Amino acid sequence: MSTAVHQMRILVVISGLSLAFTALAGRLVQLHVFRHEELSAQAAANRALVLHRQGRRGEIRDCHGNLLANSQSVRIVCADPSVTARQADEMAAKLAPFLRMDAALLQARLSGSGRYVRLKQKVDEETVQQISRLKIKGIFFEDQYLRSYPQNALASHVIGFVDTEHKGVQGIEAAMEQYLAGVSGYEVIERDRKGREIRALRGEGIEPRDGYHVVLTLDQVIQHIVETELARAMAEFRPQAGVIIVSRPKTGEILAMGCRPTFDLNHVGEATADERRNRCISDVAEPGSTFKIVNIAGALNEGIVRLSDTFHCENGAFLHAGRILHDAHPYGTLTVEQILFKSSNIGAAKIGLKMGPARLYEYIRRFGFGRKTGIGLPGEVSGIVHPLSQWTKLSITRIPMGHEVAATPIQMLMAMNAIANGGRLMKPLVVKRAVNGHGQVVLENRPQQVGQPISPATSAMMTAALRRVPTPEGTAAKAAVDGFDVAGKTGTAQKIEGGQYVRKYYSSFIGYLPAADPEISILVSLDDPRGGAYYGGSVAGPVFRRVAEKVVEYLGLPPQKPFTQSQQVASAQ
Amino acid sequence: MKPNRKKEPLRLSTVSQSVLACVCIGCIGLAYVWQKNRIYRLGDELKKLEAAVTAAEKRNAMLAAQLAQLKSPAWLEARCQQYGLGLVAPREQQIVRLPEPGPDWDVKFLAPLPVAAPLAPAKKPAARTVARR
Repeated sequence: MSTAVHQMRILVVISGLSLAFTALAGRLVQLHVFRHEELSAQAAANRALVLHRQGRRGEIRDCHGNLLANSQSVRIVCADPSVTARQADEMAAKLAPFLRMDAALLQARLSGSGRYVRLKQKVDEETVQQISRLKIKGIFFEDQYLRSYPQNALASHVIGFVDTEHKGVQGIEAAMEQYLAGVSGYEVIERDRKGREIRALRGEGIEPRDGYHVVLTLDQVIQHIVETELARAMAEFRPQAGVIIVSRPKTGEILAMGCRPTFDLNHVGEATADERRNRCISDVAEPGSTFKIVNIAGALNEGIVRLSDTFHCENGAFLHAGRILHDAHPYGTLTVEQILFKSSNIGAAKIGLKMGPARLYEYIRRFGFGRKTGIGLPGEVSGIVHPLSQWTKLSITRIPMGHEVAATPIQMLMAMNAIANGGRLMKPLVVKRAVNGHGQVVLENRPQQVGQPISPATSAMMTAALRRVPTPEGTAAKAAVDGFDVAGKTGTAQKIEGGQYVRKYYSSFIGYLPAADPEISILVSLDDPRGGAYYGGSVAGPVFRRVAEKVVEYLGLPPQKPFTQSQQVASAQ
Repeated sequence: MKPNRKKEPLRLSTVSQSVLACVCIGCIGLAYVWQKNRIYRLGDELKKLEAAVTAAEKRNAMLAAQLAQLKSPAWLEARCQQYGLGLVAPREQQIVRLPEPGPDWDVKFLAPLPVAAPLAPAKKPAARTVARR
């Protein structure tokens, strides 16, 4: 081979190599210089990941710290069918006992199309660990929060529930959303080639903040008493609906609030809208005779009447403005006190006439009717109080006996509480406080007086009269609680259907005890009781007594007077 | 004229200084690698501990719900009925209420008891008696 050829070949090789290296260098320059920004960002994005972390939703507890609602972390078991389809039958057989699912259904899901399928939701951590040990390819898990209500249906209307996004929809869950909901945080992490976090390279981040815990004024034991007695009343009198509320008159704290029909908080989807409605705050009805407390308290407070003043009750039929007003029993002359504890409609109407529409209207407003109580639960309504300009000639005789007005059970209880509490109208309290995870108080709700409709002296006079209601001479002998002085008022209001009064009734009793220094007040209201009895004293009275007996026993209230012989025998037995 | 350094004998001090410098650089390098390694290991440990804390928190929440259910009045009432324990709340007549002690309760309690008259010699009991409530 000639030298020239040899040299030529060397030149070609060197030229080729030079070109190759030049091209390589050019590519490197292009990647590192001209596309530096783009590619470095792409590389960082491949390594780094922004993880959003959700703060845990706060708990709901009763006044003694008993848990009513909390959030639990559960998992969703997922599969990638592109991996699992090949051995779907074998995998389904392995997974079925852990997931407690039908193997055929599992197999169908595992052999489906796409790259993502959910096999089962709300799976606990223990089961997830057991499945992980099987080391099945294509099976993975996702985090999920589950709102848990350990007491099931207890106080369901007050506690409320959350939606699938874990946001409050009803009750305290909705009302206290801004406190209960946690604040999300994030972390910028770097991952290795298997996608695992390299903890040492964790970048910037903000810690999520868990939601605050909300402490209610409810007492789970009193709530249980209420729920039990409500269920018993529903079985005994078969009403369409029923409510019982227990409160502290001095502070306005709600100790228990129960409604029927009810629903299980852990199975909200199975409940109807009717079952989920909190009737204590969202249902209005003509209150009937329990409303006489407003009229008579107003008249006493204005000095228009005294308890000893007498009115002729027209022997049960009173013609006014062309319409006859009836009493349940014919009465002759009654004192104001007797009008109250015998619940004479005609007597109340005559007191109303003496009082005049303007003053009656003022007292109705003073007692908080026609506006929301501000209990702080979503769905509360104002009730119906027509302005004076819309009153007819009949109104002044019908409103004093609780017709032509509509009120919610909570409004009626708060009005009675004002009478029990020296004339001070309190705002109902359901939320006591909100605390953070370290127990520091972030919100404290204190008892709040919203008005003084009557003086303490009038309040004392009213209590004296109302103490005679649960006696043999009053309308609610069955509401008497042995060993205690009870003050209260019955109500039997006819229902209106299609604009007409029908032979269906709201039977109610609102009372407080001990009458001289009230610790608790209780409202019992049953909508359309069946089986004969429908008077408030016969239907709601015994329910009130049973609830009151158990609550005073639980609270350890000392009795004010000796027990009767029957009670002593029962105790001895 | 400058002496030719290649022909000079290698000085021990120069060699030892060079070796020392190499050792130092090597040690610094090793220390750096060891530190880095340790950071990664500690990071992994931290991650495991964080996972353990999270798992414990989850378990706590689950157990708290279970405990609340087991302590609920409805559950306890059902168990009482199931096992026929006959547990009921005491009636008012079965409760003995003691008055709240006044401000000088300790003086009254700690005061010496009045000296009682000597008891007559006890007679032999006819039969053994058992105190009953």
